[in-house]
This record gives sequence, structure tokens and C-alpha cells, in this order.
Amino acid sequence: MAKFIVRRLSLMLLTMLLVSIAVFLITEAAPGNVARNVLGIHITPEQEASFLNQQGLDEPFYVRYLNWLIGTDWRAERYVGMPIKQITTEDGFREWWAVEQDGSLIRWEMQGEDLIANQRQADGTVEETLDNEQWEVKDPAIEMERLQDYRDQVASNQRIDDEDRQAVLEKLDEILAVLSKEDQSQDQLIAALSEPESALEAMVDQEALQRKTAFREMADDMVRQNRLMHVLAAYDQLSGPQAGDLGESDLQSLARQLRKAAETVEGTNPSLAGRLEQAATSLDEGDTTAARETLAQASETLDQLMGSLGTFVQALQTEDYDTAVGVLRSLSDPAETPLDASRLVILPDVLEAIQEGLEDDAPALSGSLGQAVEALRAGNTGNARQSLGEAADQLDQTASAIVRSEAAQGARVARTFWGVDTENHAVQWEKGTGKVVWQLVPGSGWLAASGGPVEYVPLQKGLVRGDPGLSLRTGRPVADLLFTRLRNSLVLAGIAFVIVMPVALVLGLIAGLNQGKTLDRVLSIGGMMFSVTPQFVTGIFLILIFAFWLGWVPGATVFGEKAPWQRPKMLILPVATLTLIELGYVLRITRASMAEVMREPYIRTAFLKGLPRWRVVSKHAVRNALMAPITVIMLHVNWLLGGIVVVEVIFGYPGLGSYILDSALFKDFNAIEGGAMILVAVAVTTQLLADILYTFLNPRIRFA
Amino acid sequence: MAVSEQTIPKQAAQPSRWRQLWEGLSIVFESKIAVAGLVIILFWIFVAIFAPLLTPYTPTEQDYTAQNQGPSAKHPLGTDSLGRDIWARLIYGARVVLIMLPVTETFWLPLGTAIWGVLLGLLVGSTLGLMGGYLGGWVDEVVMRLLDAMMAFPVVLLYMIIIAAVGASATNVVLAIAIVGTPGIARLVRSLTLDIRTRDYVRAAEIRGESPWYIMFVEILPNARGPIIVDAMLRVGYAIFAMGTLGFLGLGLPPPSPDWGSMVAKGRQYILSGSPWAALWPSVAIGSLVVGLNLFADGLSEESTRYQ
Repeated sequence: MAKFIVRRLSLMLLTMLLVSIAVFLITEAAPGNVARNVLGIHITPEQEASFLNQQGLDEPFYVRYLNWLIGTDWRAERYVGMPIKQITTEDGFREWWAVEQDGSLIRWEMQGEDLIANQRQADGTVEETLDNEQWEVKDPAIEMERLQDYRDQVASNQRIDDEDRQAVLEKLDEILAVLSKEDQSQDQLIAALSEPESALEAMVDQEALQRKTAFREMADDMVRQNRLMHVLAAYDQLSGPQAGDLGESDLQSLARQLRKAAETVEGTNPSLAGRLEQAATSLDEGDTTAARETLAQASETLDQLMGSLGTFVQALQTEDYDTAVGVLRSLSDPAETPLDASRLVILPDVLEAIQEGLEDDAPALSGSLGQAVEALRAGNTGNARQSLGEAADQLDQTASAIVRSEAAQGARVARTFWGVDTENHAVQWEKGTGKVVWQLVPGSGWLAASGGPVEYVPLQKGLVRGDPGLSLRTGRPVADLLFTRLRNSLVLAGIAFVIVMPVALVLGLIAGLNQGKTLDRVLSIGGMMFSVTPQFVTGIFLILIFAFWLGWVPGATVFGEKAPWQRPKMLILPVATLTLIELGYVLRITRASMAEVMREPYIRTAFLKGLPRWRVVSKHAVRNALMAPITVIMLHVNWLLGGIVVVEVIFGYPGLGSYILDSALFKDFNAIEGGAMILVAVAVTTQLLADILYTFLNPRIRFA
Repeated sequence: MAVSEQTIPKQAAQPSRWRQLWEGLSIVFESKIAVAGLVIILFWIFVAIFAPLLTPYTPTEQDYTAQNQGPSAKHPLGTDSLGRDIWARLIYGARVVLIMLPVTETFWLPLGTAIWGVLLGLLVGSTLGLMGGYLGGWVDEVVMRLLDAMMAFPVVLLYMIIIAAVGASATNVVLAIAIVGTPGIARLVRSLTLDIRTRDYVRAAEIRGESPWYIMFVEILPNARGPIIVDAMLRVGYAIFAMGTLGFLGLGLPPPSPDWGSMVAKGRQYILSGSPWAALWPSVAIGSLVVGLNLFADGLSEESTRYQ
């Protein structure tokens, strides 16, 4: 017997393993991806990649399967170089921490470019300290290669002033020299690098970098909001490589923009307005070639009227400062740009918009531009040109500061650190490579950071150690919800079972005893009808009758935080649906078994002995007739579980079945796998119980 | 039984094979249950075939002035939430179940989705069962373990995971029905094979030096056909059951196809707001067709055991 059970248990484990692989493979083959389900369809490819990376979903299939099965913490410990352990906080959250040698718990986070250590105190509070000593120099060989390339870039970058370039190159060479020495310890490396790196740091002008962002934002705003800029943007769009992809609605919105721009210039330049109108009409007709040709002239005229400020804005957008400075200089030079009446109508407005956009972050430049606007409005072109010249000088200075800062910033050796972050990943942070990382931070949305995590290992214990992982749909551990849902389903199935068994067995015995009579016909045909009708059909009928027409019981279940048995009224219809279906099935099997037993010779013998009928039935027939139904019912648990899914969906019952259905539709595979494993365990265990029960009921097997 | 009395004399002139078949069929008319089942089945096949003649509407035609209406002269069974005629949707829905399998939007195969699912399951299941039963050894062991794993999995969940993975369409529903049906068919065929392989004619074929595949498909399979056919008939009922359930769970044919299960799922939302018709009629349709098939099969097996 023991051997038999051990054999069955090992078969059960094998089955679960096979099922888990199959579910994994099916989910793997499925089209679509969970990132889109979690983040919505409008995510960018970088954000999608970052999400997949954070969840460890970009690993090959077998790695993810093993992670799920046997966990990742043991692997992460090798990377981090410290033991890692999971704790449960007082609020019931599960958190992963690294364990220091003295047994205290620690994990890290990045704030800007600083590494902050969070040390957990004995009372559960967290103490934050700056922990930048942890950074290690990334593999010198790789960094040498990267910095060599970078050196070539800087050397050939004409936008940097010669003096600055020399300074950057000099320090870069020092860094390369340090890196090229072999067999250095981390401490030696860091000490040797500190001098050239701090010199480079001093060349970085933070204010200039802020201005760069301000320029860009101003230019973006202008392109988005200024009607005249729309015309230039429309022309770019029509002549760009993606022109063929523009749909009808895109063309219509471009046409609308052109019409608005035409309204703006109508009073001052009717011929330009006419041409814009003409281009808009071509777009409405879908003739992009004609529209492009008309716009080519119109946008050129328009930019001339704006004193090339359109070009200026576009140059700031693409960080082409030389062109931008050139525009301002040519505006300040009477020989290059005559300020005639037609320009004076449009130019000041555009200039004012630029000035307002820069007011906060570049006050000096904005001031000069403001003076120019006032002078232009007053008709004093001389003063205006002078202010514009000043503005050009200021922009030129800022531009060289920006280029220098960027060059110096890029010339650093990357630092890297493996630790545990505050979101339960083992993370490799990296800073100094200038690579921008998109990070989804729960609660604050997407953040782009220049220093950030480059590799994630999501920490989990693995199924074999009792951790089915996190649900991607809810972000909470699967196990938490799974057991509540399982409990709800068991309540439903349990109540139905308790009602079904006695009723169905008794009715089945009665039908079997009256084989062929009207009572038997009614019972067995009725039972068949209920057992073959799909659960949702039965459910709908019950809702219609008892909830809709009679209004006796609620037609849906809403439990909220409550357990199902606290609102028994809502359980009535789900239980009834499940009961009716199982009732028919069990009844039919019992009937067939009883009918068969009644034909056996030993029953005839009992009758011939002269025993009364009730005695024959109760003493001889029933016991034998019940053997088949009981085991068959146990084997039928699979079917019952499937029925529960449908019943749960009909009544919105928060059970395991609807949980797996939702997870399957969402491709939340940790949840699907967790649910599937529990169901398989339940199904296989009941089959095992059925076998054991059968052995005890049937002496022929027991004594064989 | 007026029908049989009239026709039997005509049949008498036919070869005895036809007569045998007719006598087999006449069993059906002995059983009231089987006749009742047959009438229901024939009703649905009839409306499916003549659907365009039985309603002036198409299944996707929407009437925004008549939403969620009860039965009326204009719409015999009422309308759904988009103002579509429920009768039209029901009878076009019957086509997908019983007489046609839409593969693409323009191309379709004869025989219904449910029937194709069972046929495909039969093909794969019998092959596996024959291999396990006849070849035995490690092949049998591997096949049986795989089938055990599949059977350990609750049926509806298996459907759900397959469809959620491959996407909802008629061909995928066929695929899901076949995959779910395969283990049961394979087990049946295997047990039949284990019995038949000991027969003399199989021995004879082995001694003639026939290949195992010839023996499996030419000697064993035809001799196991009886129980397989009976089993397959019941499976068509299960397949319709499964199609309805999948549709109800949102995993059936994609909208706006007139899929009975999804009609119920859609109509369900309006029951408690006072429009039960859109959920009621497709429920009646699925229920009646499945019950009809089972009545037919029940009556048939009951009568045939009586004659034995």
C-alpha cells in the first residue's frame, strides 16, 4: 500500500512538472506581450524593453522557467557577493534585503547619480546614508575601448572650442593611461582616477546644461503651439521619409493647421495666405506632391518673413547651436537682413514668443531679446540690431559652455555596482556611460535617468520553495490572492458537494430500483438534461427565474472584503447551478450501477431465500451499488473544477477559476502557472483518494 | 411508426447491406427518446441550411431604433443590445456549429466547427492510441504519461489556456476541441488495440511481414470502429457544449460572428436591467441542441442493448 501511494505521488509530481512546462510553452508561443497589457498600448519600445528587463522577461525561455521553478536568489547572491534574504514586514509586505556580515539588512537606491544605502534598523525603520564608496570601476579593458572611441569623437568635434577640446583630451589621455596599467586593485584605480576625473568634473557647467534643456523645451513648445511654425513643420513632414505613411486624418489635420496659419498672415501678406490655402486644399484632396511644391515656396517666404527665426527654433531643437547663433548674427547685420515693413509685422511676435519661452531659465538672453522686441515695435531698428547682436554673443557663450560640459561629462570611466534595490530586484547599477535608462518606478511613472540599472534579476524563491512569484497583473505575490481564491472556490464546491451527494445517491437508487417505470424515466431523463446542459445555460435560466422574474435572490455575487459565507444569500444561485449539473451526473451513474446490481445472481438468490425487498436492497444491493458512483465521482473532480470556472464567471464569483481565466487573458503567467499547479494538485490528489477509497470499499482488491 | 411500414417494402428490393442499414436505423424509431432527439437535431440542421430563406435580416444588421426588444411580429425572438435580430443570429449561428467551418472571411469548409474538432481529435487520438497499444514498450509509456498529464488538467481550463494562447477564431476552436478530446480517444483506441492485437488475423499479417503501420491502420483500426463511432457521436455533443462555453467565456468566435455562447455572454449584462431575451434564446438553442444529441445517443444505445 505504501509503495502504491509513493508511486502515485511521484507520478503526480511528474504530471505537475509536465503540465507546468506545457503551460509555460503555450504561454510562450502566445502572440502579444504582457508589457502591453500592463502598461497600455501607447508605450514606447524603450519603455517596453525596460519593463521586460525589470521583470526578467527578456531572458531566454529556459532561464525564465528555471527562475520560476527554483528561484533566482541563489544566483543573485553570487552577483551581489552577499547573502540575500526575504523578510515579511509588519504590514505584510514581502521584501528582499542583502545581509551584511554583522547580520543587519541593507539595500540600495539611486538618487540622481548618488547611491543611497537603506539600512534596516531593528525597529523596522530605515536609515538612509550616502554610500558612493561602493561604486567600482567597470572592467578597465572595456572602458578603454569605449573611451578610445570617445576620444576620437571629441578630437573630431568641431563644435568644441579648441582650448576646451585640448583640456578635455589631456585629461582623457591621463585616464586612458591609468586604465592601461594592468593588475591594479579597485582602490588603486579609484585613487589614480580621482585627479583627472575631478578636473573634468570642474569643467562641467551645470547651469549651461540646464539651459540646454530650456532651449529644447522652448523650441518644442514653439513647434507645437506657434501657427507659423506649424507651416514649417508641415513642410518637413511632407518632404520627410515618412511622408508616404501619412493617413487621411493626418493630412486633414495638417490642412487645418495650414488654414489657421493662413488666417494669421491674411491681413499682412495675402499672397502667402493664398498659397497656404492652396496647399491646404491639395492636402484635403490627398495630393501630397502638389501640397509639397506649394509649401516649399510658402515656407521659404514665411521663414524669410520671420527673419529665419523658424530655422533658429529648429536649430535649437536639434542642438545645432552654430546655426542658431548664425541666425541671430545675420539679424543684427543690416547688410544681410534688411528689416523692411513686411518683416516688421511678423518678426517681433515670433521673437517675443521665443523670449517668453526663455524667461525663466536664460534670463540674460531673454532680456536682450526682449529689448530687441521693444525696439522693433518702436521702429528703432538700430537698437534692435544691437540687442540682437548681444543676444547672439550670449547664446554663443552658453553654447560653448554646453558643448564643453557635455564633452567633459562623457569622458568619465563608468562605475558599476551590484546590489539589491527597493523593488525586490538584484540590480547592476551603472553610471557615467551617458546611456539613458527608462525606468518604471511604481507610484511615480516613467523616469529617464543617465545613471541607472542596466541589469535586473527579479528576486524570487521559486515554486519548489513555495513561492509562485509575483502577479504581473496586480504586482502582488500570486500566493496571497491564490489562497483566498482557492478558499472561495472550495466553499462553493464543498457546499454543492454536500448537497449533491445524498440527494443524487438516493434519487439514483430509487430510479435504479424502479428501472423502466415512469418514475425512473422522469428522473433519468431529467438528470440527463441537467448534466449535459452547459453550466452557463443552467445559470442563465436560474438567474432569469429566481433573480429576474421572482426576485427572490441576488443574480450576482459581490463580496468585497467579506468571505463568501458572510453573505449566504449570494451563494444560493451559484451553488444551485453547480448542484443541478452534478446532480444529474451522479444520479445517472448511481441508477446504472443500481440497475446492474439488481440483475446480479446473488440478489436473485436473496429474493429466492424469501428475504423481504427492503432487506435485500439495504443489506445486499446498496453497498455494492454505491462502489462505482463514489469512485467515478472522485474521478469527476476535473469536470467539476471546469464547471466551477463557468459558474464563477456567470455570477462574478471571486474564485480560483475566474482568477485563472483573467490571468490567461492577461498573459500573467506566474498567476496562470500558480493556479494551474493548484488545480492539478487538487485533481491528482482526488484521483489518488478515489483509488484508495475504492481499495477499501472493494474487498476483492483489498485481499488480492 | 407509419413511416417505416411504408418504406420497408421498397427497401426490400435493395441489396441486403442496405436492408441491414435500414433495420439499424429503424431502431431509432422504436425509441421515443431517440425520435425526440432526432427531431431536435434535424430542426437545427434544417434552419442552419435554409437560414437565408428563414429570415429577412442578416446576423450583423443593426437597427438602432429597436434595441433590446422582446418578441414582436417584426422580430420573432426580439433584438439584442445593438438592435440585431436574435432569430437571424441564432440560425446563422447554427451554421457555424453544424454545417460550416469558416477558415478565413471568404473561405469555409463543409461540416461544422464541432464536427471538425472531433474529426481532428479522432485522427490524432487514434494514431496515439494505436501506437501505444500496438507498439507497446517505451512508446506506450511516453504516450500514456503525456495523456495522463493532459487528463489531469481540468477540461475548461485547458480550453481557456489554449485559446488564450492561440487567439480566438473558428479554426483555433477546432484545434482546442481536438487537443482536449485527444487523450480520451487515445485511451479508448489503446484499450481496443490491446484486445485486437491478440487476434489471429493480426498474427497472420505479422507473419506475412506487413509493416507495423499497415497492421495498425488497415488491420486493427477498421475492426475497432464500432465503439469509436459511438464515442465520437457523444463527443460531438461535448464539442458543442465546449463551443458554447468558450463563447460564453469570451474565447469563441470573434465578434460580430453569431456565436451562441458569446450571444449569451453579451445578453447576460442586460438581464437584470429588464431585457432577458438576448440571453434567453441562445441559451435555449444550445441547451436544446445538446440535449437533443444526448437524447438521440441515449435512445440509440438503450435500444441497441435491448436487441443484443
